[in-house]
Amino acid sequence: MDLKELRRQRRSRFMGSMLPYVGYVIKSGVAMLLLLVLIVFSAWYTALLRDTPADLPIRWIMLILLLPAAVHSSFRTYLQSPDTVFLLPQGHRMREYFAPAWVSGNVWKILRLAFILITLWPLYIRTDDSPKQLLLTAVVLIAVKLLSSYGLWREIAMLSRPAAAGLRLLRWAVGGLMIGAWLWQPSLRALIFIVILAAAYLAALSVPNRHGVPWERLIATERNQGTRALMMLGWFVDVPGREQRVYGRRYLSRWGGGIAWRRDSAYRFLLTKSFARGDIFGIVMRMAVLALLLVWWNRASYAGSGIYLFFLFLTGIQLSALRKLHSESFWLTVYPLPAGSKGDNTTQFIFRTQLVLVLVLGWPFLFTLGERPLPAIGSLLAGALLAYFFKVYMKRKALDPDDDL
Amino acid sequence: MNTAPVLQITGLSGGYSLNKPVLHDIGLQVQPGEMVGLIGLNGAGKSTTMKHILGLMSPHKGEITVQGKTRSSDPEGYHSALTFVPESPLLYEEMTVREHVEFTARAYGVERSDYESRTGQLAALFNMEDKMDTLSSHLSKGMKQKVMIMCAFVARPALYVIDEPFLGLDPLGIRSLLDFMLDLKKSGASILLSSHILSTIENYCDRFIVLHRGKVIAQGTLAEMTEAAGLRGLNLEQLFYELVQGGK
Repeated sequence: MDLKELRRQRRSRFMGSMLPYVGYVIKSGVAMLLLLVLIVFSAWYTALLRDTPADLPIRWIMLILLLPAAVHSSFRTYLQSPDTVFLLPQGHRMREYFAPAWVSGNVWKILRLAFILITLWPLYIRTDDSPKQLLLTAVVLIAVKLLSSYGLWREIAMLSRPAAAGLRLLRWAVGGLMIGAWLWQPSLRALIFIVILAAAYLAALSVPNRHGVPWERLIATERNQGTRALMMLGWFVDVPGREQRVYGRRYLSRWGGGIAWRRDSAYRFLLTKSFARGDIFGIVMRMAVLALLLVWWNRASYAGSGIYLFFLFLTGIQLSALRKLHSESFWLTVYPLPAGSKGDNTTQFIFRTQLVLVLVLGWPFLFTLGERPLPAIGSLLAGALLAYFFKVYMKRKALDPDDDL
Repeated sequence: MNTAPVLQITGLSGGYSLNKPVLHDIGLQVQPGEMVGLIGLNGAGKSTTMKHILGLMSPHKGEITVQGKTRSSDPEGYHSALTFVPESPLLYEEMTVREHVEFTARAYGVERSDYESRTGQLAALFNMEDKMDTLSSHLSKGMKQKVMIMCAFVARPALYVIDEPFLGLDPLGIRSLLDFMLDLKKSGASILLSSHILSTIENYCDRFIVLHRGKVIAQGTLAEMTEAAGLRGLNLEQLFYELVQGGK
């Protein structure tokens, strides 16, 4: 069996399944909006480069933006559940199958890292007192990237999940320390520190026991990767049959318990649970934290209002993906849910969540009420109006006979 | 006494393609307080019949009524009157066992107090008390099947449509399920049950419907069917073998 060819075929099949949606992505309004945002960002960034603030914490900015790009890793193995039966006898040869996954995963992520580095570089060399060389910085970051990828691979194969979780934290800490050392310390001292830290990290990775091929974990990881790709497509176009990744989140387990005990709100109960334990919640929360920081930082300027509305729009797009959740649910066909309750519950849920975000993300404006009452109140009202527009849009979509809500 | 059937299927023809119907002129009834076994070989049309009852497929011809209601005239009333246990568990990965049962209870408009008492009873009956707050994705296949059964039984509708419920269940689970179905039957509920374990259902079902190649080839009590086939004294398994072999 040619394992390399098998992976290549599976990759082609996956790419082929994505291809029909490309046209819709290009045509969709969201793609146009993102293009517009890119143009606005370019203009803003060019202006920032022309007039760079003297006290810009550039090393922290570099660390915050480069760390995720350098440490976050993933691989597309395209493994499937039947492989635990049909590919199991090939276990000893699976290196052949996985090698292209590792290479391609790293190549794309190194390109992403290089893009962020090159984008940041003009700002860095203008503001840092003793900037490092671009080439050396790139080499250090690529080394961190490869080390992180190797670390992730080892984590997946570990027998003990607590050990894997611990080493995941260690991976991020090691990545942060390495990049931090490179940015803050003299080059030679930083390099010595990085080499010693890498050796210690590799030694730590070799301690926990591992599976030869962690079949079930790789299949679960692959399912999540595929789901994520479909979710990203779902921002632009309706993708059928998308499953979401599930997280335990015990701290949210009581959420939904207080929903009125009525048949017409039964779907809201399901939706609340799905949101609380799904990937959309994580994405919205990450966006909200980032937005809150940026709005707080820019609360006394119109840029803050723009950032506020932009992030409300983005979270709205994310939340509207909830409309497609359970669109092919068997039980929603069999259970006697009142007609239209799914659409109504979804629209209400998204609207209420957006209103909470309007208040939470707009909270920094309250501190500027004394000096800038009109822009502060205006921003909050504009946020509420945006949430209302989303509600109207979703109601209209729910009435669309082609819509499967 | 009200003898109107809970489930009535008349002249049902249907399938995935209009040109190739899988079911041919099916007619059957399930009376209140009756447990009926739907038996047949793989591909005989049992699951397709059930899909038509659930409204997942539309009949090419014929009519299905549950509690006198058709799905087209009163969809909410139709679906409120029945519940289903599928052959393979279909669960929401993001919900715990308790949340599945709660969602079902909410959807069927079960009173909260009834939901709470029934949930406790079902959890104890199926030995699931310590799994109630576990996410469904962390359950074994047998436990997932128990969740499906618990969801169906918390709703307490007039009709239970149960497809191969014993698959994956441990012996204690099978016994609990059968005993509970008998209790439901005594309380007036109707059950349409499909299973290949003929020796088990022989002792529990009141009547049987034998499907073969999409047609009802025999129905009635075991005594009535053996009598009609001129094969008195056979048990259900022997009779079934004779019927489907004869139909070859």
